[in-house]
Amino acid sequence: MVPFSNMLPEKNQTSLLFILTSAFWMAVATFIGLLAATELIAPDLTRGMGWIVFGRLRPMHVNLVLFGFVTPGLLGAAFYYLPRLLKTELFSERLGMWTVAFWNLTVLAGGLTLSAGHSQGREYAEFIWPVDLMVVAIFSMVLYNFVMTVKHRREKTLYVSVWYANAAIILTGLTFALGNVIWRPTSGALTGIPDAILLWFYGHNIFGLLLTPLAAGVAYYVIPRACRTPLYSHTLSLLGFWSLIIVYTHVGTHHLLQVPVPTWLKVIGVVDSVGMVIPVMAFLINIWYTARGHLGEIHADVSAKFVFTGTIMYFFVSIQGSMMALPDVQRITHFNNWVVGHAHIGVLGFAGMIALGGIYYVLPKVLDRPLHSRFLADLQYWLVLIGMVGFTIVLTIVGLIQGTAWLNGETVYRVLPEVHVYYVVRASLGVMIFTGALIGLYNVLRTLFFPSGEAAS
Amino acid sequence: MKMTPRVVLIGSVAILFTIVLIMVVTPYFTVDRNPSEIFRSRSEIEAAGRKIYIANGCVYCHSQSIRTIDWGYGAERIAQSGDYVADHPILLGSQRTGPDLSQEGGEHPDDWHIAHFMNPRSTRPLSIMPRFDYLGVKNIEILTTYAQSLGLKDADDRMARQREWKEKVINAYEAGPVKNVEFLHAHVPEGWRNIPNPYPTSPAGLARGHKIYQDFCIGCHGPVGDGMGPAQPYIYPPPFNFTLLKNRGVSGGILYYQIMNGITGSAMPYFKKDLESEKIWEVGNYVAVYFINQSDANEAPRGIDAAYEPLLP
Repeated sequence: MVPFSNMLPEKNQTSLLFILTSAFWMAVATFIGLLAATELIAPDLTRGMGWIVFGRLRPMHVNLVLFGFVTPGLLGAAFYYLPRLLKTELFSERLGMWTVAFWNLTVLAGGLTLSAGHSQGREYAEFIWPVDLMVVAIFSMVLYNFVMTVKHRREKTLYVSVWYANAAIILTGLTFALGNVIWRPTSGALTGIPDAILLWFYGHNIFGLLLTPLAAGVAYYVIPRACRTPLYSHTLSLLGFWSLIIVYTHVGTHHLLQVPVPTWLKVIGVVDSVGMVIPVMAFLINIWYTARGHLGEIHADVSAKFVFTGTIMYFFVSIQGSMMALPDVQRITHFNNWVVGHAHIGVLGFAGMIALGGIYYVLPKVLDRPLHSRFLADLQYWLVLIGMVGFTIVLTIVGLIQGTAWLNGETVYRVLPEVHVYYVVRASLGVMIFTGALIGLYNVLRTLFFPSGEAAS
Repeated sequence: MKMTPRVVLIGSVAILFTIVLIMVVTPYFTVDRNPSEIFRSRSEIEAAGRKIYIANGCVYCHSQSIRTIDWGYGAERIAQSGDYVADHPILLGSQRTGPDLSQEGGEHPDDWHIAHFMNPRSTRPLSIMPRFDYLGVKNIEILTTYAQSLGLKDADDRMARQREWKEKVINAYEAGPVKNVEFLHAHVPEGWRNIPNPYPTSPAGLARGHKIYQDFCIGCHGPVGDGMGPAQPYIYPPPFNFTLLKNRGVSGGILYYQIMNGITGSAMPYFKKDLESEKIWEVGNYVAVYFINQSDANEAPRGIDAAYEPLLP
C-alpha cells in the first residue's frame, strides 16, 4: 500500500483505492464467470482440477462480483461524494486506506477458501465463519468512517445520497451477521425450513439493502451533477428511501413459493414483491424527471451515460422481479436460467453499470485530469451493455425452454441438448463482458498511474 | 420530514428490526417442526458425504425440493417441511441444471453411482456434470452413501430392494449366459413376452433408434452392443452383451419392458420418465436389428396397421 499511496494524490486516496479494487476484481470475477459458462459447454475442459470445478466457481463468481467488483465500485463513489455533500473532509483517509487493504484481503480469503472447498453451502452466504467476521469488520470500518464524517459535517442538511450510503452499510452489516448465523461458527446455518426462510430473507437483502441503496446514492449524486440541475423532488426521495427499506425486506419469501413454508409468509412475499413498484418508481421518476431535457448532457458524459443506463436496467429488472413473484409466472421461471438472466440484469446491468459510472465520474474529478481514454470507456460501455443484454435475452430463452419443457413432463436430462447451443452463445457474450472488464482495468490503471502524454500536456 | 443522522440510522435499523421479527423470528417459532413419516436421522458416513456435497457445490445444479408441478425424478413424493427437520443447512437449491435429488436414494445401485461420479458421461452420455474423479475413490464412496440416503426411509426401502435384486442378478450372471438370459426373460410378465415390436423396421425408425441409443445406452452397452462401454469397469454384473440374445427367445415386448422398467439390482435404470413409447420401441428395434440380428418388428399378431406404416410388399 505504501508505494501506491505515494503515487496517489494526497486526498481521496480511499476513494481511488476502492475504484482500483473494483476494476481489478471485476476482471477476476468476470473471468471466473466465463470459465464456469465454458464448463457448461465442455465439462471435461478442466478435468481433475477440483479447485475450479463448476460447483466451486459458481459461488466464487457470485461473491467476488458482489463483494469484489460492485460494492467497492459503489463505495469508491460514496467515499468521494460524502465529504463533498457534507462540506467536510473524510473523517480518516488513514482508516479508509486500511479498510481497502483489509477489504481486499477479505475478498481474497473468501475466494481462496471457496476454491479450496470451504463453503457453508448457502447461496450468497457461502463464506466460512472467519471470512464472515472479516466482512462484518470491513463494513464496521466503513460505517465508522461514514458516521464520523457525517458528525463532523459543515452542511446541516443531509442529501439523499448520504441517507442511502449510511443506511446501506449499517443495514447490510446487521443482515449479513444475521443471515450468516454468525453465532453458529461451525455451520453458519439454522436447521430445516427456518434456515431457508432466513437465507432468502438475507439473500434478497444483499440486493435490496446493499447494492440498491448504494447504487441509488450514486445515481442521486451523478445525474443532477451531470445535468447541472437540482433534484426533481425531495418528497419522492423520502418516499423512495423509506419504502425501499420497508418493502424490500419483505420479499425474500418469493424464493420459496413452491416450498412448504407457511402460506402467510408467501402471501407477504408476493404482495410486497408487487409493492416494489412504489420504491422503484419513486426513485426512477425522481431521477428521470431530473434528467428530463438534459439527455444531451448525459450522453456527452460517459459516467452519466453508465449511470443513466443503470437506472433503465433497474426499471426492467424490478418490473421483471415483481412479475416473477406471481405464482403462475414462477411455475415456468423457477429453477432455471430465466432467474440467472434476471440476476445479471440486476447486478451487472443496474448496480454494476452504476458502479462503473461512479468510477468514471470520480477519477477525473479527483485526479484533476481527464480519463486516459474516453474512447476505451465508451468501448467498455458498449461491450458490457451488449454482452449483458444479449446474455439476458439468451438466458431468458433458455429459461422458457426449460420451464415449459419441465412443466410438460420432459426430464431435465432430455432438455440438456436443447439448450446447449444457447450456452455457447451465452459464453460468447461472456467474452464481451470479460473484455470490457479488462479494458476498464487498463483504463483505470493508465488514468491513475501512467497518464498519456496528451492528457499530461 | 427532516432527515437527521439519527433519523436515518435509528429509523432504518428500527424498521429492519421490526421486519426481522415478522419475517424471520415469527416463522422460526411457529413453523411445524414435526418430522414427517419418512424422516430418520443420518448416519455419520452419510453426514460426511453431505459435507462433500456442500464443499463441491452440488447444490448449485441439483435441487432437493419436489413441487406439486414436477414430473421428473423424485416426483413420487411432494416435499414436506417434516422431511427437512435435520437439514443443517437446508439444501433446497435454486437451479436444476441436473435432476432433483430429493428421492435419489435407491434409484440406482451403488456401482452405477461410482461409474457416474468417475465420468458422468459414461452412464448419461449427454450429461454436462463435471467428473468427480479428482475426489478419489474413497470420497466418491462416501458421497455415494449420502446420495443413497436421499429420501430417508423411502430411500432405505428402495435400497433394500436394490440389494435383494443385486444378489439375484449377480447369481444369474455367474450362472452363465444361457441361465442369465432365461432369468431375465422369466421376470418379464408373460403378456409382454409374447408381443412383437408393433412398428415395422424402416430406415427412419432405425435412425431415430440409433440416436436414442447414443444419447442413453452407449455408455454402458458400448457402440457395438457388446456391453463394453466406458462404464463397464465399474459395474457388476457388467452391462449386458446383446449378441447373446440371438435365438434365445427374445421379443420386441421383452426389450420394451426391460428398457421401460429397468432391471433393479443391476445398473440398468428404468427409462420410462425419459422416453415416450415410440422412442422405446425404436431403440429396442435398433438393438434387435443391429446387435442381435433378429427382429420381430411387425410380425403377427399385428393388429390393424397404424395409418402411417408403410405397406408390406
